[in-house]
Amino acid sequence: MQSTVRRALSGLGLVDRQPAVRAHPELVACEECDAVYTRRSLSAGELARCARCASVLGRGHLLAVDGQLALASGALVVFVLGNVSDIVTLDLRGVHSQVTLWESIWFTWLSGQQVVALLAGATAFAFPLAVILLRLYVLTPLAAGRRVRGFVPAMRALRWVTRWSMVEVFLFGTLVAIVKIAGLASVVPGVGIFSFGVLTLLLAANQAAGLHGIWHRAATLPP
Amino acid sequence: MASITAAPTAVSRGLLGCECCGLVSEVIKAANSARCPRCGFALHARKPQSLQRTTAYLMSAVVLYLPANTLPIMATASAITGRESHTILGGIIELWHTGSWDLALIVFIASIAVPILKIAALTLLAFTAWRQSRWRQLERAKLYRLIETVGHWSMLDVFVVVLLVGMVRFGAFASVEPGAGLLAFGGVVVLTMLASASFDPRLIWPEPASHD
Repeated sequence: MQSTVRRALSGLGLVDRQPAVRAHPELVACEECDAVYTRRSLSAGELARCARCASVLGRGHLLAVDGQLALASGALVVFVLGNVSDIVTLDLRGVHSQVTLWESIWFTWLSGQQVVALLAGATAFAFPLAVILLRLYVLTPLAAGRRVRGFVPAMRALRWVTRWSMVEVFLFGTLVAIVKIAGLASVVPGVGIFSFGVLTLLLAANQAAGLHGIWHRAATLPP
Repeated sequence: MASITAAPTAVSRGLLGCECCGLVSEVIKAANSARCPRCGFALHARKPQSLQRTTAYLMSAVVLYLPANTLPIMATASAITGRESHTILGGIIELWHTGSWDLALIVFIASIAVPILKIAALTLLAFTAWRQSRWRQLERAKLYRLIETVGHWSMLDVFVVVLLVGMVRFGAFASVEPGAGLLAFGGVVVLTMLASASFDPRLIWPEPASHD
């Protein structure tokens, strides 16, 4: 039974079939030019750059795992707030109109541009939410010194969704949209827009150090 | 320059760096599909078919670029001004005329400059990588990093239109509808992001022995 599971996992690439490779955790290879260096632990705020192509090899995060966990928890709170609150309230000669992110996406869907609605829903809602939830899922046990079940697939998914999460662009889009309609109606910014502003900052702080530090730390823990 | 080209690389020492988790592994027995012992991601000296995939996404993006800029991205209907179609460039000119030159500049950068920069830069990167060129390697590495950083900002106009559609719902007074150009524009953004994700920056630094 166990060997069947192992073979299935191996087929998915989750377990290595045979030890054809030997890990060298004491080394670092530059992701952008393949230059090799000996790993050295970085102090908080320290930045290591590749001597050949100047890309960032690693960053000593200012916050430890529990600090990062706090940032992710805060991000979840403002994410929920941002999605249930109005982004703006419009007033056109006494006629009021309020809008949330979801209503905007829904009305785009209804007006016939379903693909655009899906694209906006994925990059401004689904992927940012996945980033926050996956970070909480991985970091919560890590702060307690444990490795969560499914750590590897969660981290691989996290790497993917981080790339396609665009909260900061969405925030800027709301500002441009507000300016564009300021001539038509009077606009009052709502709680939603401020929530997305805070969310942008929290996610940026959370992502500053990249994911390699989490991989490295988890490798020292029992599964 | 000699010290730069002589840098010890993972490949030259029989090592492979994992693209997913960063772990460096030594290949003991040659296998077609070596996998990272830590995260299970396939290990490659270079991403497979990187240039082919980059070129394919890039060409699709170029094809969509024309409708993205000529078709209207949205249509406004209002009791005062009637029905109007807006293209990307038209929206920027409008912002400029209403006095928001700073926002006009930002939207211009996000919607016009960044897509053109991405298409031009990726063409240059793919061509020089294909030639295994050693021309201005550091500058090309920085160019790649730039387009990776600014790439997703082109999505700005997509969000602006989606929000305007949601905000401006005053029936006969005023309403906004998304146009077909927006779909093409979103396509350009996604395709150029896929193109730069497919490009392996390590191709900027060919191995001296890789000419065989």
